[in-house]
Amino acid sequence: MFGQLLIKECRQTAKSLIYWLIVLVLIFVFTTQIGEMDILTEPQKGQADYGYKASSDEADIMKFTLGALVQEYIRGSYTTYPIGFYKSVTLNEKEERQIREIVRETTGISSQEEAEEIMESWYEAQRPAAGDGQETMMKNLEIAPASGLSYDRFTELMDQADAILGGGSSYGETYRSSNAQVPKTYEDAITEYRELTEKDRLTGGYARLFSDYMGIFLGLLPVFLTVTRELRDRRSGMQELICSRKCSSLVIIASRYVSMVVMLILPVLLISLPFFSRCMKYASGAGISADAFAFVKYTFGWLTPTIMTAAAVGMFFTELTDTALGVLVQGVWWFFATFGGVNTLHGGMYGWNLIPRHNTELNWSGYQSAFAQLAANRILYVLLSLVLVALTILIYDQKRKGRYRLSWKNIGRLKKSI
Amino acid sequence: MEKYWQIEKVNLKYHIPLHILVCVLLLGVSPLLMGVANLSAEDTAKVLERYTALIGIVMLTPVFLPEQDRNLRELVSARYTDCAAVYLVRVLGNVFVLACLLGMYIFMLYYNQCSFPAVKYFLGTLAEMLFFGGLGLGFYGLTDHLVAGYMAAMVYYISAIGIRSTNPFLKLFYPFSMSAGSYTEKYFLFAGAVVLMAAGVYLRCRRK
Repeated sequence: MFGQLLIKECRQTAKSLIYWLIVLVLIFVFTTQIGEMDILTEPQKGQADYGYKASSDEADIMKFTLGALVQEYIRGSYTTYPIGFYKSVTLNEKEERQIREIVRETTGISSQEEAEEIMESWYEAQRPAAGDGQETMMKNLEIAPASGLSYDRFTELMDQADAILGGGSSYGETYRSSNAQVPKTYEDAITEYRELTEKDRLTGGYARLFSDYMGIFLGLLPVFLTVTRELRDRRSGMQELICSRKCSSLVIIASRYVSMVVMLILPVLLISLPFFSRCMKYASGAGISADAFAFVKYTFGWLTPTIMTAAAVGMFFTELTDTALGVLVQGVWWFFATFGGVNTLHGGMYGWNLIPRHNTELNWSGYQSAFAQLAANRILYVLLSLVLVALTILIYDQKRKGRYRLSWKNIGRLKKSI
Repeated sequence: MEKYWQIEKVNLKYHIPLHILVCVLLLGVSPLLMGVANLSAEDTAKVLERYTALIGIVMLTPVFLPEQDRNLRELVSARYTDCAAVYLVRVLGNVFVLACLLGMYIFMLYYNQCSFPAVKYFLGTLAEMLFFGGLGLGFYGLTDHLVAGYMAAMVYYISAIGIRSTNPFLKLFYPFSMSAGSYTEKYFLFAGAVVLMAAGVYLRCRRK
């Protein structure tokens, strides 16, 4: 019964206009974002620039972070990104005093005047290097930590500063490590390249990048398909007919859900093929032993939980309210997930975000060190989607038995009768 | 005139209170999520273009929803009043509500010491709202599917977030131009919005 219904539902999905619009959007995303992307070539000695990297050196993190804090302390306003949007925080007197105390303990700077003098001399010292009349990229202020300040005490005080600012600042645990941006050396660049070609076997890094771009859209698009499918029975007046069938609610809803998830994974796998073949071609030319299943692994491991969750949200809210409310709920969730992840683009900071970001083919070590967190994240969303599907089945079953009906029209009638 | 006022009264009373509530909630929670005080012109534009303008999708896309039921649609089209007039009254009413909500939000930003050209930003953001809403309405009219309308508008928004202003796919219809210092796109967005809404209403009225 389940198999028959699954095939039927897959056919229904294949006939859906919304489904083909989703496929078109995914093709558009692929073409515009990654279709023409060049495969990274081996860095050569003597290149002018190898890019920047976040230093993991504790001394670097301390001096760059303290430089940023002192600069904002002088300005009197602090920049935070609680959900990825710029937020300028101005503190009250008590909070300002607390920050002053943190600055004093971490840097030894006891007054705002002293801080201003240090900043002025820092930028003054950089001016001659550029020459008269030339524009130059000023290096960010660096402040040496007070003598005897341990890294543990530093992190403790920075966490306090972040809490005072309401979270999302450069001093909190999430963003602190990315404050110290230092130029990459040839050795850094070649190490990253070797990680990509040897440990990630080339396709791993590009499959992750592919998943990053696709994930942004797959965090929202599935909801349109499931909401349409759930509303379809009512729209075509078939709800009562299906409800009276002997097939169980579990089989009806589960087959619908599985079919939609399968039908959404299918185009993702197909769209990855041209990129995958380019990677394989490059790998064979460069003598790299590429992982032929990397794109499949990442599609199932990275993207499927996102697809499952967005689809389950759509099903649940449509069944609950008989409206397109799921679109709004998932839209809001997508908004926060996307903007909340803008400071984690480099990867290795996946947290509990529905749309984990890793917008580079590099940083294998970041991915590796945060793998346990990523795995926990993905498992959580699979479980959440299964819970939502189970609740959908429950609601659907109650509706079939005539025990549950919530619609805005009924609420309106109820109000009138009262 | 009395007839059109009646149409709008019904719209306000039965069709859009929930949508207005969603918009008020979205705007109301914004100070908790992002900076709305002491912002520069660029940062104010960012808030208006990337967040506030989204309420255009909520308010304008579902204009045809009350007649989603085919039987009801037949009944409405059999009436003396042209269905296009009904839809246009609803669209104008919803645009007026949007303008009021945006006006209040702009006033709040102004009151919070954000420095920006208020009238220019009001009109620019309204044009963007209308374009997003028009896109939803146009696709709803084209496909007779509310979800397709929401999808078109939201996909456009996401694409614009990920695509730079110079990208040939968007060019003059780039919705976040004010924060990049350009205003020309807003005229095109407004013109596009008018065309899309007119097309949506026309397509919907043709579909009996």
